[in-house]
Amino acid sequence: MSGKVRARFKLNGEDVTAEMEPNQTLCDYLHDVAEKTGVKKGCDTGECGACTVLMDDKPVTSCLVLAPQVDGREVVTVEGLGTKSRPSPVQWAFVELDAVQCGYCIPGMIVTLSWILEHAPQASDSEVRRLMSGNLCRCTGYLQQVEAVRRAAKRAAAGGAPEPHDIY
Amino acid sequence: MRPFQYLAPFPSFRYLAPKSVGELLDSLEVGGEGSVVIAGGTDLMMALKERTTTPDAVIDISRLGRELGGIRKGGGALRIGALTTFAEIEASQLVDRFAEALKTAAANVGTLQIRNLATIGGNLATASPAGDSAPPLIALGARVKILSRSGERTVPVESFFRGVKKNALLRGEVVAEVALPAREGVSSAWARGAVRNENALSTVSVAVSASIANGRFGESRVALGAVAPTPMLAEKSSKLMTEGDATAEKAEEVAALAAEEARPITDIRASAAYRKRLVFVLTRRLIAGLLSEAGAA
Repeated sequence: MSGKVRARFKLNGEDVTAEMEPNQTLCDYLHDVAEKTGVKKGCDTGECGACTVLMDDKPVTSCLVLAPQVDGREVVTVEGLGTKSRPSPVQWAFVELDAVQCGYCIPGMIVTLSWILEHAPQASDSEVRRLMSGNLCRCTGYLQQVEAVRRAAKRAAAGGAPEPHDIY
Repeated sequence: MRPFQYLAPFPSFRYLAPKSVGELLDSLEVGGEGSVVIAGGTDLMMALKERTTTPDAVIDISRLGRELGGIRKGGGALRIGALTTFAEIEASQLVDRFAEALKTAAANVGTLQIRNLATIGGNLATASPAGDSAPPLIALGARVKILSRSGERTVPVESFFRGVKKNALLRGEVVAEVALPAREGVSSAWARGAVRNENALSTVSVAVSASIANGRFGESRVALGAVAPTPMLAEKSSKLMTEGDATAEKAEEVAALAAEEARPITDIRASAAYRKRLVFVLTRRLIAGLLSEAGAA
């Protein structure tokens, strides 16, 4: 009685046409089927933010989106923000500042903070903290992450995107 | 409450995505009992995962924003489409101007990610006692517009709730819009108690609206959340405040009566006694805020 559903959407800039089971979360679809393994399943209840992706340029918890709801929309995962050889400004700042411990929350953090960098670069530290309250880190804390978006914003204000930079 | 069980994927269902409100109303008419509507999904997805809802069909209305979304002023009312997200409400200048309590509540719902998904229509339809959009809407005298194949009807927000997670929607009906009087000179405010500032359900929430002129309150309304099976209008407190002296003493009296009207239970978030105390403190604080905004105290 279920039956697959066709969805056409953009994933990290590429057009995708997919036949998908409707009874799954977007998080599971992206991670297991589309193999965007940067989309992490943490709590699966919309609290922790590890599964955060941009949907129509807004951070959302993909574990609370029904997979076929992506039809007609544009989705960006952490894979769409930068690469190892060309990290995004926030990714670059994370590496420089060691804003990582176990790493599980980091893709979601990067997605949210990249959105903050683009849409609220002037946000105060407390506003950044408010906006990132949906991304939980259970290892360390949030100091380096806030500092990372601050550093990326300063760089952007000083002269745009950083040079391509091989981080390894 | 049953402990969360990790079960994925959830049971199968038919997925329907009507392309217009007309198609949606047809789907609802045929769908009947076994079908549920998904908008932002923040409540329904959890119900599907927890198996508290096991529908035959899920009707996706999330792409009907052109017909069921948007914030506008029309016919003396501020009209908010059911699919409007809390992020959109938080950012709206019209909401800021005519419904400050709603703006504050919207900015405090869940997290950035949740506010980008969750819709005001969904928040009302879920009918949680702790739903954060209801008290401000009740305080502001909002009505819910309900659509079905047989036409349209509106009900005051306080009458839309029929019990814990029970709403007034009949078979074939869907929430289309909430509308509230767009009046100049009416101030409103919202506050809550919660275990954290962010990413938390409200332990208690309170919304107050009033106009203040010549040392007196005009028509005033006090509404409460998470202290009864449904969000509620505190009728006696609203009556006591309306036409009362715009003073700190009156604020205290109204707040005490609001605490009496509250019918909270003790649960994992707080005891009934603590909730009553919170109603008193928050109500008094909100009215004091309106007074100082009006330069009356």
